[in-house]
Amino acid sequence: MSDVTVRESARVLVVEDDAQTSAEIASALRDHGFEVDCAADGRAGLAKAASSSYEAIVLDRMLPGDLDGLSVLAAFRAVGVETPVLILSALSAVDERVRGLRAGGDDYLTKPFEFLELTARLEVLVRRSAAPQAAAETRRSVGDLEVDLLTREVRRGGKVIELLPREYKLLDYMMRHADQVVTRTMLMEEVWGFRYGERTNVIDVHVGKLRRKLDQDGKPSLIHTVRGSGYVLRAPH
Amino acid sequence: MRLTDLYRTTGSRLALLFLVLLAVPSLVLFAYLYWQTTDYLRRGVDDWVSREASSIANAAPTDRTRRLTVHPGLDPQSTRPFALFDPRGAFLLGTESSSLPSDPQFDALFNFSQRRGKKQVPFRGMLRRLPSGEILLVAQDLREIDRFNDLWLAAMAWAGFVALGVGLAAATITGTSALRHTEDMTRAIERIAGGDFAERLPVRRNGDDLDRLSGIVNRMLDDIQRLMQEVKGVSDGIAHDLRTPLTRLLAGLERVRRHQASEAEYQQAIDDAIFETQNILRTFSALLRISEVESGARRAGFASVDLAQIAADAVEFYEPVAEAKNIALTIEHASDGAFRTLPGDPSLLFEAIGNLVDNALKFTPEGGSVTVRSFARNGSMGIAVTDSGAGIPVNEREAVVQPFYRTERGQRVPGSGLGLSLVAAVARLHELQMAIEDAAPGCRVVLQRGAVV
Repeated sequence: MSDVTVRESARVLVVEDDAQTSAEIASALRDHGFEVDCAADGRAGLAKAASSSYEAIVLDRMLPGDLDGLSVLAAFRAVGVETPVLILSALSAVDERVRGLRAGGDDYLTKPFEFLELTARLEVLVRRSAAPQAAAETRRSVGDLEVDLLTREVRRGGKVIELLPREYKLLDYMMRHADQVVTRTMLMEEVWGFRYGERTNVIDVHVGKLRRKLDQDGKPSLIHTVRGSGYVLRAPH
Repeated sequence: MRLTDLYRTTGSRLALLFLVLLAVPSLVLFAYLYWQTTDYLRRGVDDWVSREASSIANAAPTDRTRRLTVHPGLDPQSTRPFALFDPRGAFLLGTESSSLPSDPQFDALFNFSQRRGKKQVPFRGMLRRLPSGEILLVAQDLREIDRFNDLWLAAMAWAGFVALGVGLAAATITGTSALRHTEDMTRAIERIAGGDFAERLPVRRNGDDLDRLSGIVNRMLDDIQRLMQEVKGVSDGIAHDLRTPLTRLLAGLERVRRHQASEAEYQQAIDDAIFETQNILRTFSALLRISEVESGARRAGFASVDLAQIAADAVEFYEPVAEAKNIALTIEHASDGAFRTLPGDPSLLFEAIGNLVDNALKFTPEGGSVTVRSFARNGSMGIAVTDSGAGIPVNEREAVVQPFYRTERGQRVPGSGLGLSLVAAVARLHELQMAIEDAAPGCRVVLQRGAVV
């Protein structure tokens, strides 16, 4: 993912017992621009998280030994580690997800997953913890695209663009995560409010429509497709 | 078939039990009748002997002499001997073979026996001393009563014998038949246990308890067979659907290794491999989701869900797809204000309705129409997705729900062949009945619960 990188490199801890999976995750995260530390079990993970500061933690749900993922998570929170945690799990049942999030997890990803999905979600967690959203923000802009959050008016280069409510919601989400990769699953969850199992190209149709509305009059494109399954909203260079 | 097995069967035990239950009161009845009849006959003899003795004793001497003289001629067998003896006991008149008993008692009935040829014959008789001092004997041979008793006993013995025979035969027949039935069942069960799931337990159609049990087991076997065929269908489907992309994946990788490929070609090969792998993962994920939904585990996360709202969301989600294909996608809602929500998983219901809309859009030609109707009235609620496509032939309507099943037209449309299976699983999880109907033209899929409208 050379086209999207973190501005200053964030440190991420990966707690995963399977050496090969751990190495693959670390490699994918380093390629993305993160600095990565690995721990092979819950105790090592806990020791590292307590002694050093990370921007995010990737935690396997199933860990060997006496400390499984959820216990490690509870221990993090008990010793005051507030770092956002993304739980990886082979268990996809909805109550597993709910349990993970209730135990203090910030996001939940089911194996098998695509690395783009993992890095995109981690990016969101890292930025959220780095810069809490300004409360009084009323305008948002990316390049010559401007949105009035109160009147919901969208302008590009001063020209008003008419959007349907759902298109506005889609644009709003992408602008809040400008310069970050957002995956189809993330859009489905955040914009439509449903967790969709199968990847669907219907999202592409929606994004395509939005893109056409934004890119009128031969203006350079703001929404870029990231090979794999994501998009990024970015001001043209 | 051993004899002990035979009489251990429920049928023959019952038959034998009834035999005993019938035999005991019959014996008591027979004994009572025997005793009563014998008593009656003996009293008849006693009456006759007393009466005749009195009548002869009281007759005028000339009349008495005449009767005693005539009587032996009327009774050649001497079964009812009359005789007159002088005071010392010498025979005077009457039945010649008669003799005075050795220990005579007068004016009372008594039993005695007399020799007739070689046999001792039992008699019942009475002695009267006449005013002249002579002794009168009137007696009756008791062998008549004995003969009657013998006949009676023989009849009883025969009846008992026949009843016993019939009872044993009944026990044997029911036992044999029951034993044969259980042996047939045992053989059938052994064949089923051996893996022949097409085998069924024998049913004799007489509606007995074994038959009812067999019926239940057979229905269970039908279910097992259906499930096994489904599992086999799924395994075959997985094998087929994964072999194709795996083969392509392998072939592509081997091709770039064989050739002196440029960097761009390597890139392309890697992209192709990633694409194929993602497709395979997607099929796996879909299968896992179906099995997760079917396990019912997601019921734990149920919330109160507005089906009409989810249908509207799904329609809105697919609107741009319909637009691109120039299909009129519309939503209708019919409600009488009755119950609108059901406990459910909103994401799964959205996915299920979305799959139905997706299918409808895929199979409807350009310029056609797809209508999603949600309804909540008359105690029933649900949704119906109707398209103006070619419809699904009647004989394929059950099969399309099977994993990996593709109709002939479906082969030309991209998809995993798992969409409708997921819809069916989600419907079952939410206790919604799924029906595929003919919308003439087109196809209508209905998911509903409650009374049928």
